[in-house]
Amino acid sequence: MAESLSRLLTDLGERSTYDAASQCSRCGYCEQACPTYVATGDESKSPRGRNQIVRLMLEGKLDDKASALEALSSCLTCGACTTACYAKVPVVDIVLEGRRMLRGKTHWLVKAVCRIMITSPRLFAVLLKTGFLLKRFGVSALGRPALRAAGLPVLAAMDAHTREAPFWNLDDLTKSRETPESPSYRYFGPCGPRYLFPRVGVATLSALDELLGKGAYLNNPCCGLLAHNYGDLSDARELARKNIEHAEKNGTERIIGDCSSCVAFLKSYPQLFLKPEDAEWRARAEAFSKRVRDVIEVYGECADKLPAGAAEGVETTYHDSCRAVNPQSLKTQPRRAAQQAAGGSFCEMAGADACCGGAGAFAFVHEELSEDLLKTKIGRAAAVQAGVVLTSATSCLIQLARGFRKYYPDAKVLHLSEFVDEALRKNNGT
Amino acid sequence: MRLDELRAQVAPGSLRSSPADLAVYSYDGAFDRARPDAVLIASSVEDVRRAVAWCAANKIPFIARGAGTNLSGGCVPVNGGLVIALARLNRILSLDAAGRVACVEPGVVNLDLQKEAEKVGLFYAPDPASFRVSTLGGNAAENAGGPRCLKYGVTTNHVLAVEAVMPDGTLAKFSLEDDGPELLSLMIGAEGTLGVLVKLWVRLTPLPVDTRTVLAGFSSIDAAVACVSAIIAAGVLPRALEAMDRPTVESVEVGRSLGYPKDPAILLIELDGDSADCAREAVQVERLCAEAGATTVRAATDPAERERLWEGRRGAYAALARLAPNVLVEDGVVPRDKLPDIVRRIQEIAAKHGVKAYLLFHAGDGNIHPNIAYDERDAAETSRVKAAGHDMLQACVELGGSLSGEHGIGLDKRDAMAWLFTPETLRLFHRVKNAVDPAGLANPDKIFPLPGTKPGLPFIRPPAEALSEYAKLLVDKVRAAPAGAAFRVRGASTRWKDATPEDAVELLTTGLGRIADLDKRNFTLTVETGVSLHALRRELESQGVFVRLPQGGGTLGGLLATRPWAGLREDILGMRVLLCNGDVVELGGKVVKNVAGYDLPRLLLGSWGAFGVILEVTMKLHARPVEAPAAGPAPAPPKFSPWALKVRAAFDPEGRLNPGLAAE
Repeated sequence: MAESLSRLLTDLGERSTYDAASQCSRCGYCEQACPTYVATGDESKSPRGRNQIVRLMLEGKLDDKASALEALSSCLTCGACTTACYAKVPVVDIVLEGRRMLRGKTHWLVKAVCRIMITSPRLFAVLLKTGFLLKRFGVSALGRPALRAAGLPVLAAMDAHTREAPFWNLDDLTKSRETPESPSYRYFGPCGPRYLFPRVGVATLSALDELLGKGAYLNNPCCGLLAHNYGDLSDARELARKNIEHAEKNGTERIIGDCSSCVAFLKSYPQLFLKPEDAEWRARAEAFSKRVRDVIEVYGECADKLPAGAAEGVETTYHDSCRAVNPQSLKTQPRRAAQQAAGGSFCEMAGADACCGGAGAFAFVHEELSEDLLKTKIGRAAAVQAGVVLTSATSCLIQLARGFRKYYPDAKVLHLSEFVDEALRKNNGT
Repeated sequence: MRLDELRAQVAPGSLRSSPADLAVYSYDGAFDRARPDAVLIASSVEDVRRAVAWCAANKIPFIARGAGTNLSGGCVPVNGGLVIALARLNRILSLDAAGRVACVEPGVVNLDLQKEAEKVGLFYAPDPASFRVSTLGGNAAENAGGPRCLKYGVTTNHVLAVEAVMPDGTLAKFSLEDDGPELLSLMIGAEGTLGVLVKLWVRLTPLPVDTRTVLAGFSSIDAAVACVSAIIAAGVLPRALEAMDRPTVESVEVGRSLGYPKDPAILLIELDGDSADCAREAVQVERLCAEAGATTVRAATDPAERERLWEGRRGAYAALARLAPNVLVEDGVVPRDKLPDIVRRIQEIAAKHGVKAYLLFHAGDGNIHPNIAYDERDAAETSRVKAAGHDMLQACVELGGSLSGEHGIGLDKRDAMAWLFTPETLRLFHRVKNAVDPAGLANPDKIFPLPGTKPGLPFIRPPAEALSEYAKLLVDKVRAAPAGAAFRVRGASTRWKDATPEDAVELLTTGLGRIADLDKRNFTLTVETGVSLHALRRELESQGVFVRLPQGGGTLGGLLATRPWAGLREDILGMRVLLCNGDVVELGGKVVKNVAGYDLPRLLLGSWGAFGVILEVTMKLHARPVEAPAAGPAPAPPKFSPWALKVRAAFDPEGRLNPGLAAE
């Protein structure tokens, strides 16, 4: 059994995991918010069901690990249930706790990646570049059967799902960037925009510089979400501490990130330090998370500064990244910006806040269920004849890009940063 | 249990039996839990049919389940068996905008139908609080209500037909268009104890042009209830007439201000219809509120402002759900004029048990929800809360009300049924269940007290008025008849003129002419069924009240028994019925919303005297004339369907009543 948090910060205050799970009255009002329940009609794939499973495990009334794990592993961790819940039961945290209770040792690959992130992020960049070269020359595709045979089907699926693997990462591209004396903001570079979609990171920096004044690249360590969700809490805490220390050394300005999953996790750092002996770190984590903003939040605040209708032309819609709309409640903010820039071309699609099935490793582990959700999402974008779909998390970018290539090549997915930046540039005539 | 045998017959992967699967199908929205032996996540009607047939062959209980939001334990597999989950059967099969009918699978979520209907200017009227998640099959099985049902009626008023997998594994369709007894009404609200609904035809209603909301504050619950009565008496039928007490408002106001008046009682009145009617009625309601002593009256027309007035009501359950892990949402119903009494009784009971009750009620219907927040892990607190809930229901029954207005009886209230129904009536319910499900496999041990168990309390409902002299005569005649003798039930003979066979005992109802109760405060009428329709109409009009009955002559009983118009069912609330074994059973009552037990009063519509002699009927009254067609020519005596014959055997096992009629 992996180490658990055992205490959670809930909407109703700090609670033990058991108390948090017991706050569920089983009313079932979350069920239709849950993409996996709606897709399967299976109570064990519903928030209420998963929550009861963890509760029963804690009560010692359910000891069949395999079936419990099946139910818990199918959770997207999108958090739509908590948004629908009157008592705001933190189902995602409860599910992650359940998975930790069921998990033996962390998978060696996850552990290895986490350790590399902690000890030598540069090595990580080098490994990714190697990966890029393998992909560029088609070697990775040839290697997929070998990966599957080696017990790493997830890596094979990851390779199949990603089209982009740029050689030059964001750190390379921003090498010449000067750090201003008193930066207007600090940019937190999440792994997605940093290594996989550097175009997003470039756009974010450019847009924020324009809107807020010149900022600084924080050159931060990895946020630790991978370790938190799939690995060891000790690794997640180590990365959190590194980030907190790093941020403390770098001014007091707002820290703005452009992957909503990552940002939501940064905002939840205090929950990692609830043990009495961590009191000092808890205070530092609270101060840190107060500085953190999702970039889409900033665009919402600055919507008036965006050139009205500058990006008008192609039908544009917005897909809510789960970790933006649910734990961060960022629903109106990104739309304000998108609407301002898209003018008359902006339209809402049905079920914009339903998960696309990307959800971190979910798309690689539960390929079939993920594909169902993806098809629904693409269908809804197609129903409004969207040419551009905007979003704010790395997982959604990967998943939707794949979905559009496969089912609706008329549309493309962009990070809201790219859209905003382009509107600003158009306005400047560049 | 030879699960493999069933597994081979249903969709791959749809039959589950892992410990986690069984654990998550052990509960619903209520308190109790019990694990099933297996779960079928059905993906077709055929799978449901095969599963039920397999259960029937192997004597295994089966429990149909929609979204599992039931608040009375109805989905809990108390005896194990197979849970049949219907959530995947979620297709709207057709939506006929012109005919205003939708045909749906049972797993369609109420809200999903609403969304589709709205696209063509229609809506589905029943709106239980769970409408965002609960399924139409579950709504029908529970006969769900909701705030809108004051004006539009509960689920049974909107289901036109159902297809069901019966406990023997066969498919059957029941429709309002069927001749003979209303088996459809029997299936609605049967809580899955008579079969599994697998297809429903439901009525859709045109969206109103205009909606207006009025919020009023009163210095006491009594004053608010007096206002409710005044509104109904004025002939205004709001689509919602909701009330809440001060503690409930305060619980919602934690951390935010609603801007509600600080009065002990709040009424929310919502009107809809065409613009002119709406505007006129809104003025009328505001005036009636002021006359009833409202301290504050606020009206809103635009959607945002209306939503603000509703905020306190809509947020109430949410606020309570945050006070403690669990909330007992009790559900009782009393005649409307008894609301002040029940509120006092509830407050006394809460104080006695040391719990705090927050009151929300559908005031127009006399349906009250005392809500008590608690933690089920605290055994002492839980038993106090349960005891308080029981005492509150007992108080409802003592005041002439019922055990449930919309949540169903399920597991939680089955023992309490003995407070509400006489042993004779309970035995009839059991016989009906046995007639349809002789092996007792369909959601067993729900709704009714288990045979042989002793209720904590005996029958406590206020006794019905003594039978009239003439009714007693009929009872004596039945009891005195020689064993096995046939009976011919006869009214004014305007519809069925055949002479009484020589060897039959004639039961002439025309002497049953008493108006037992004309209650202008509750707008209910209890009348004997031998009364002539002309005389009844004259009498009511002279009193300034109206009933929904077609034009035409003959007796009221003859009209009900021959059912020339399906609309008769809309306003039927209760009946007193003489069975051929001499038992007199009391069904339903003076409450306008009641889901305790099978809907036998409606079942008896169209039964042609072959089920029992309807001695007395209780109906809704109206303050304004209501539309009803002229009664057409009397229908010919129907041939009873096989299921009708089975149910008849529960009432009359030897087929003694009107025997010529029901022969196969």
